[in-house]
Amino acid sequence: MADPLMIFDILLALSIVALATASLSVRDQFTMIVLFIIFGLLSALAWVRLSAPDVALAEAAIGTGVTGALLLKTLHHLRFVSGSRNRQPMTGVAPLPPVPLGVTLANAAFCGLITLGLAAGFLGAPAAGPGFDMLVAEAMPTSGVAHPVTGVLLNFRAYDTLMEVVVLLAAVVAVWQIERGLSEAPAPVMGVVWQGFARLALPAIVVVGTYLLWGGAEAPGGAFQGGAVLAAMGLLLLLTRAYVPQPGHRGIARWAFVLGTGVFALVALLVAGGGRVAFEYPLEHAKTLILLIEGMVTISIAVTLAALFHGREPVALTTGGRHDT
Amino acid sequence: MSVDLSPITLAIFVPLFGAIMAFLLPRAASVIGLATLALTTGAVIWLARAVLTGGAVVLPLGGWGAPLGIDLRADGLSVAMLGLTCAVGFLVSVAALDSLKGAQQARQRQYFWPLWLLLLTGMNGVYLGTDIFNLYVMIEVIALAAVGLTVLSGSRAAVQAGLEYMYASILGALLFLMGVGFIYLQLGRLDFAGLTGAEPTGALIAALALMFVGLALKTALFPLHFWLPAAHANATAPASALLSGLVVKAALYIVLRLAQYMPFPSETLLTLVGLMGAGAVIWGGIQALRAERLKLLVAWSTVAQIGLIFVAFARAGEVGLPESWKAAALLILAHGIAKAAMFLAAGRIKDEIGHDVIRDLDRSPIRPTLAQFTFALAAISLIGLPPSLGFIGKWSLMEGAMAAGYWHWVAVTMAGTLMSVAYFSRVFAGFLRFDRVRAPVGEHQGWALADAAPLTLALAAIGLGLLAAPILGFIEIGYPFGVAP
Repeated sequence: MADPLMIFDILLALSIVALATASLSVRDQFTMIVLFIIFGLLSALAWVRLSAPDVALAEAAIGTGVTGALLLKTLHHLRFVSGSRNRQPMTGVAPLPPVPLGVTLANAAFCGLITLGLAAGFLGAPAAGPGFDMLVAEAMPTSGVAHPVTGVLLNFRAYDTLMEVVVLLAAVVAVWQIERGLSEAPAPVMGVVWQGFARLALPAIVVVGTYLLWGGAEAPGGAFQGGAVLAAMGLLLLLTRAYVPQPGHRGIARWAFVLGTGVFALVALLVAGGGRVAFEYPLEHAKTLILLIEGMVTISIAVTLAALFHGREPVALTTGGRHDT
Repeated sequence: MSVDLSPITLAIFVPLFGAIMAFLLPRAASVIGLATLALTTGAVIWLARAVLTGGAVVLPLGGWGAPLGIDLRADGLSVAMLGLTCAVGFLVSVAALDSLKGAQQARQRQYFWPLWLLLLTGMNGVYLGTDIFNLYVMIEVIALAAVGLTVLSGSRAAVQAGLEYMYASILGALLFLMGVGFIYLQLGRLDFAGLTGAEPTGALIAALALMFVGLALKTALFPLHFWLPAAHANATAPASALLSGLVVKAALYIVLRLAQYMPFPSETLLTLVGLMGAGAVIWGGIQALRAERLKLLVAWSTVAQIGLIFVAFARAGEVGLPESWKAAALLILAHGIAKAAMFLAAGRIKDEIGHDVIRDLDRSPIRPTLAQFTFALAAISLIGLPPSLGFIGKWSLMEGAMAAGYWHWVAVTMAGTLMSVAYFSRVFAGFLRFDRVRAPVGEHQGWALADAAPLTLALAAIGLGLLAAPILGFIEIGYPFGVAP
């Protein structure tokens, strides 16, 4: 009798491949996005089965949640701009001519060859590589935290994590600098149920997000996952129009974007001295410093993701209100 | 508690803090930007002195040391790239002060500085990095900041080109990341030192192929150059200068480093790399000959020059690699300086005349003579006339190829040189012919302080050729190919 978990794994793997294929082959954009979101959720489940709960949380919160929301927002915007769901989203973009069958086949053969080559390389590699496990296990007692993933992200390889936060900062600066004019896609009409849901969900989101951040020291979770969950709160506020970004809020938003990067970089630099180099936290303060960094980074991630969802710098609107039509 | 600062960390953190400050205080962004560039240059000079006196400098961040932690390392080549980035970056920043001073450019001015300083953070991080996963993160920082700079002008063409650039850039980064995954799978570590002397197994060859294709996409090596011309031609002038002069060099530099540490491919693969380079030289040349606009011509010339750098890389085959990288490095430095000068000059010409249609350059009664002179000087280095740095690079390329008996690479270089003479002559003809102007020619119009920065760069591109020997000596410090067979 086969192991029931084995059957589950096989079904999961098949579903993921099927969903990926379906989301690529379906023509309707909305269906495509929904399929992609389900694909993401199942991928998160796959990460759990691979004993990587941190990645699973990140995949669910960022890869599926925030990305799905961004995709749906973009779709909404495209339909608003084009005015009709079946026309080409951008005026002036001609539909692509159909690709000849021969070209498709040649492409398929080429891609197939590459995939086979990569598969051969993958199978030829040692099944359980040496990896960092031993090194991490040895260094954990001096890291200031108990969860190995947090130890790697915030201590051993904190420089990488700092630069990942910088990537997010660069993204929001790049998005803000794109001049989008004054018009804005009208928010979808939100019913009473929505408002009620938001009221119920907001406190829960705050608790879950903060727990993910705090728990990250001992268990799976951390700044990225917590920040993404808190960003969901921002999304709800924006969607229900409980919060409308104003030009006057730009200053504080800028501070919120850079808070994580700034504090992280400052701590990294200021701990140097007395024989220590940058990023070398004194052991007795390591846990405090890591929590401080994580807390600030969580705030920045939450605000930045929400701002990316909003998708533009709030600019002063001309008199006469929004150009919604 | 005293804080010990190392020039290595400063070279990365000063631009990072500068970017944060410039973003927080948009009104003071220009001042903060220039001050940051000056401080970063200072840190690089400090680092250069340390490398000159004591050889390569290593800093284990967090005190962990590779492979668990991440080491930063500065040797001659790193410092040369940092020096190129800071010197060119500083002069482009000075030029940006002028070209972004208009009232309608307030928004561009506000965002140029944080994006450019984030870009500088990423590039300096690449040149000091010794960890392939960290390099992946750094090229993501570069990619997003560079895309932001591409679309800074806000024109529809720029946004479209920026979107294409972003797709290409992110695809390239993901291919690189997949390669990183394969390396970790095989070796269980991510630092350069761990790659040294590894057996070329299937996984490592797959990794190398993935990383090379990803980097080729990012550096716009033919036939993966499709995104470059539109992106570089439609950006605002200082952004074009940064993108073409500096940004594509970061991916090139990683290729150099991988060749240094990875079990490098056979003769066949190296020939393939050379052939891609040759394709770029020819195709870039043809497109530059056909280009209708000045900035597009300059952008296509970047495609050709990038190709030439890969030809330099392959010039003497596998055996010659421990020497060939120096020719490639010289060409990288030469192109970085000259192309930044040329894009700034082209931007000045466009600003003064009001358009950059090559055919109509000689119809304008306005003669931005100094900008035209700058353009010509930069062209001299790009064509490779003595005594420019471009000449030394090309000479060293051909010398090595001849010594190894690889005459086909000499032929490619010659063909590329001839084509560059041809396409730059199209521009010179527009500068020189006065007969189509109906109005009185204002010969001395369009001299401005704004020409100072590009002119300095162009003169440096020519003059540095005379200092080629010390430069070559410097990039050999911490001899990167010391471990080669």
